[in-house]
Amino acid sequence: MPKQDQQLARQLFSLSLVGDTLSTEHVGAVLQYLEKHPPARPIAVLRAYQRLVRAEYAKGQAVIEHAGPIADSLVQSIATTMTRRYGRAVAGVAKANPSLLAGLRVRVGDDVYESSVAQQLAGLSV
Amino acid sequence: MSTVLEQIEQQIAKLSSKAVRKNTGVIRTVADGVAKIDGLSDVMYNEMVSFPGGAIGIALNLEQDEVGCVVLGDVSRLKEGDEVQTTGKLLSVPVGKGLLGRVVDALGAPVDGKGPITSSESYPVEKIAPGIVVRKSVSQPLFTGIMAIDSMIPIGRGQRELIIGDRGTGKTTIAIDTIINQAKINKVGLASGDPKFRPVYSIYVAVGQKNSNIVRTIGALEAAGALEYTVIVAAPAADNPANQYLAPYSGAAIGEWFMENGMDALIVYDDLSKHAVAYRQISLILKRPSGREAYPGDVFYLHSRLLERSARLDGKGSLTALPIIETLAGDVSAYIPTNVISITDGQIFLETDLFNQGIRPAVSVGLSVSRVGSAAQIKATKQVGGKLKGELAQFRELAAFAQFGSDLDAKTKSQLDRGSRIVELFKQPAFNPIPIEQQVVTLWAMQKGFYDSLELKRVTSASVSLREFFATRKDAVLAEIRNKAALDKDLEDKIKVGVEEWKASFSA
Repeated sequence: MPKQDQQLARQLFSLSLVGDTLSTEHVGAVLQYLEKHPPARPIAVLRAYQRLVRAEYAKGQAVIEHAGPIADSLVQSIATTMTRRYGRAVAGVAKANPSLLAGLRVRVGDDVYESSVAQQLAGLSV
Repeated sequence: MSTVLEQIEQQIAKLSSKAVRKNTGVIRTVADGVAKIDGLSDVMYNEMVSFPGGAIGIALNLEQDEVGCVVLGDVSRLKEGDEVQTTGKLLSVPVGKGLLGRVVDALGAPVDGKGPITSSESYPVEKIAPGIVVRKSVSQPLFTGIMAIDSMIPIGRGQRELIIGDRGTGKTTIAIDTIINQAKINKVGLASGDPKFRPVYSIYVAVGQKNSNIVRTIGALEAAGALEYTVIVAAPAADNPANQYLAPYSGAAIGEWFMENGMDALIVYDDLSKHAVAYRQISLILKRPSGREAYPGDVFYLHSRLLERSARLDGKGSLTALPIIETLAGDVSAYIPTNVISITDGQIFLETDLFNQGIRPAVSVGLSVSRVGSAAQIKATKQVGGKLKGELAQFRELAAFAQFGSDLDAKTKSQLDRGSRIVELFKQPAFNPIPIEQQVVTLWAMQKGFYDSLELKRVTSASVSLREFFATRKDAVLAEIRNKAALDKDLEDKIKVGVEEWKASFSA
């Protein structure tokens, strides 16, 4: 991807933040602006922008993958722990994943906290 | 009993509930052995990352939005969207004596089909070179077994001596001869039981070479019985550029283990021109800005940080480096040759013209130099060969001048005659290093004019015959030279008697 597109996407992304938090209104405003003033390569810029927004969005979410049933209180407890750990608001999202066999996998941004049986079995096979 | 079982159960429960934190990323693109990865926000420079399917990579480019990794392994199985994980480790290779006699790849994995390597230790591939305080100046010799080098361009333990020349001028042969000579010295030294004897272990790093050449080298070492003291790190031309880039550093790590553990090692980088080309390829794919000859800006650092790892350490061992550089049409002023010349402690320059004239090894005396080696040269060699370099340089000058006229005075004629005899004397077949004590005898005979009466064509065969004579009949004299490392009146008399005896039998 050309550097100019990457740079423009980064500028648009910084405009989408309020403090350190992603603002839905600002993202909407950026998209409106791009519609009115399309750049030379709009798709490339939008893809780069989307990637940055997605990464930022993932930082505010603890995706909790689970094999069996999971209590709401546990989801809430994990979200609180992650909020404390990262020093920012992290919401808990439960997602069923039977391939884990048992246990949990929590993903916050790039970080993955794994305590699933599937991972332990994979570790044994290495 | 039940309490014990409960304790074990608790331990299992503790272990099984432990969450493992991983920092992950996703492959965005993968091409030419380089993967661009989204994520990996915690990755460190030069950190190993793990790809699915067991392949590993090294994070070389840390950018704002992505990480550029070179993949070491099968790239064809990787695809966009695959998850990548950080490992928190720097790339390491197995080290130790278990590697001696083995052929390994850039990651230290055996490729010789002789089974797994027994090694309990590993060293990081990239390591900061020893600092000033821990170093010691070069003062112990490292004999190459090549008369022209040991007498005129001596190499010391811990030195970096570049071997430079065009293709097919015998660069690798010099390196292999040196390795073979170390093995010969090791065998004699270890058999003698001398507690002060320090063997030299060798590491041969083949970068970007044809597999057939590597096999030939291994064959030569095996035939000479030198493989048991040698580790071969192979990153052939068919290997991916990442492995070719890493191989010299892996070799250096293997050599450092010997150095750090109070032993002496010799490392040959064959060759750094191809190493620079592999690094250029990686850098261009990583879209790093290119400079002169399209090499990246840090190509000097690439070689300086590698060669600085060769040193002689105070109270420990040494690592001597013989990097090889291939020039094009004898152009030593090209980018990579000048870089490496400036980093090393001297160079052995091999000339195509000399090689084609049959002067082998084709060492150009005028352009070759050893900046620190003379401190490591033994006194006996200095006594018999101290003036040789000057005499040969003078001979080359006179020989060029003599081409313009036929009327030469007697002094010039004698200088030319002596010069051409020295040239003949230094001719030496490949893979046939000469022990230092035999070199001393050969040069002593030259210094005292014992070859002057011989026909020029017979000088080489005469020197071979002299060495054979001494090896078979005057072993005690050779042992005395080896042990004393200097010539006194008594020893010179013994040599004289021996040489006269030989002369009588040779002329007859």
